[in-house]
Amino acid sequence: MTGRDILLKKLSSYAFASHELKLFLDTHPNDKETIKKLKEYEEKAKELMKEFEEKYGLIKRKSDDTSFWSWVNDPWPWED
Amino acid sequence: MFVYEKRLQYPIKIKQTNPKLAKIIISQYGGPDGELGASLRYLSQRFSMPVPELKATLTDIGVEELGHLEMIGTIVYQLTKNLTEDQIKEAGFDSYFVDHTAGIYPQAASGTPYSAASMQVKGDPIADLHEDLAAEQKARVTYDNILRFCDDPDVIDPIRFLREREVVHYQRFGENLRILTDKLDSKNFYAFNPSFDKKCFKK
Repeated sequence: MTGRDILLKKLSSYAFASHELKLFLDTHPNDKETIKKLKEYEEKAKELMKEFEEKYGLIKRKSDDTSFWSWVNDPWPWED
Repeated sequence: MFVYEKRLQYPIKIKQTNPKLAKIIISQYGGPDGELGASLRYLSQRFSMPVPELKATLTDIGVEELGHLEMIGTIVYQLTKNLTEDQIKEAGFDSYFVDHTAGIYPQAASGTPYSAASMQVKGDPIADLHEDLAAEQKARVTYDNILRFCDDPDVIDPIRFLREREVVHYQRFGENLRILTDKLDSKNFYAFNPSFDKKCFKK
């Protein structure tokens, strides 16, 4: 696994954990402990996404690319 | 509104070309119990759901299924990369290749194109949730059947992830059904349409 793969896996883990908690909250909206846990995971995922985007390219579209619209850059998710 | 993220829900990196396996796995792209049908089913059924938790669950699972569609497309794409003519012939991939080359087309393993006839939107949350529970089980069985033909760990790993999601979604839909029936008059759970016959809710 490359450094990119490892970071992507880590980011995917936190993003997935957040998603899983959100689905749980859809049927348990009063569960304050889970809401707290979700906040923690989302913050971690956000940090990892920032690190990934700085090193390897965009995951979300951004308008601060003034010279080149780097969203078009390879690789796309299916090409990893 | 939907916002795209340029990443898969679960990373996929398949090194070994295997068109024979691709021909089977394409069924979860456009087959009767596939991810396209799942997403379309939930994102359509949610409009007639009468309870907030149900609208939320169908929305969030429906969106996740689009991510799974992308994962299946990725698996098929990577399994059919750099195909040689010999591999196409040996794997019996020629019947797919003639119409789609190595493109990703929503069809069942049998070659039948995706059809919305494989799903329903009844506008009755009890009927629709029962369909959703069945759909998750049918998709789980399909993944189990796919796993019978897999010996490449690069393929087994993401397929197992997708299989597990069917089990989790089943759990959430089961909770949805309980949340709904808890709000209904227990004398007539299954005799009315809670989206249309408002009188069946508890007073």
